[in-house]
Amino acid sequence: MDAKVDKTLKITTPSDLEFAMTRVFDAPRHLVFDAMTKPEHVRRWLGSAEQAVLGCEIDLRVGGGYRFTMRSAGGVASMLQGTYREIARPERVVFTERFSMPGFTSEEYQVKSSFVEAGGKTTLTTTILHDSKENRDGHLNSGVEKGVAPAYDRLAGVVAAMA
Amino acid sequence: MSDPLSATFAALADPTRRAILARLALGETSVTELAEPFDMSLPAISKHLKVLEHAGLISRGREAQWRPCRIAPTSLKQVDGWLGNFRRFWDESFNRLDGYLQELKANEMVHAAGQTKQRGRVRKEKQRGRKSG
Repeated sequence: MDAKVDKTLKITTPSDLEFAMTRVFDAPRHLVFDAMTKPEHVRRWLGSAEQAVLGCEIDLRVGGGYRFTMRSAGGVASMLQGTYREIARPERVVFTERFSMPGFTSEEYQVKSSFVEAGGKTTLTTTILHDSKENRDGHLNSGVEKGVAPAYDRLAGVVAAMA
Repeated sequence: MSDPLSATFAALADPTRRAILARLALGETSVTELAEPFDMSLPAISKHLKVLEHAGLISRGREAQWRPCRIAPTSLKQVDGWLGNFRRFWDESFNRLDGYLQELKANEMVHAAGQTKQRGRVRKEKQRGRKSG
């Protein structure tokens, strides 16, 4: 009965200020919505080999906050945190977010996740809106290579030269 | 604080901290050794080290009592690509979510089946009740 689900994560740039991630899940949308918004569920799946999620607090109401604390394989702590702006279970959730780690805090950006169900499968589209193209590109990480990293390299060079 | 370089530049604005970095560029050392050339107390030096550590410019070892300080050129580059690699972070997370959703789906089915059984039992008990009463 199951048509093959294409589980590829697709990343597109709908405008200069946005990028969008699209992913299909083989489950009804109320389950996908809950899995992404309840801490006891989020703890079970969020994280990667190089970025472990250690803590997860969610106050799921408009104006409520959330905080995910992480640690990289190299031991660097970081945090994703923000505030819920709109909660329409199981269709849509909108929140603001900021990423921080020692020496770096991102600008605040807006995240909108929409859940569309068809035939028992859910298409999740997460659109991330930044207030500048530079920040959008930085988030997608191409811009970081061009912007911040060379600045840090120069800085490291300056510091080395002072010795 | 929202400018990625602001913490770094704030840390570098102070001449003592720049001198500390210059010393550390030669190799790791202890706080006591670092404090020697400066006319400063150890707590004052420690305060400067905290600022540098917070800015990601130095790291401090935990392996020894004397907590060696070292310059952290790798941490300077770790801002690159946030989350290590943005795409890989979500790709791996969503792959795990696939498995977890199947678990949630199965739980929901077991739960729904349990409820149907329970409703059936209640109906039967009601019928029995009517017959006997």
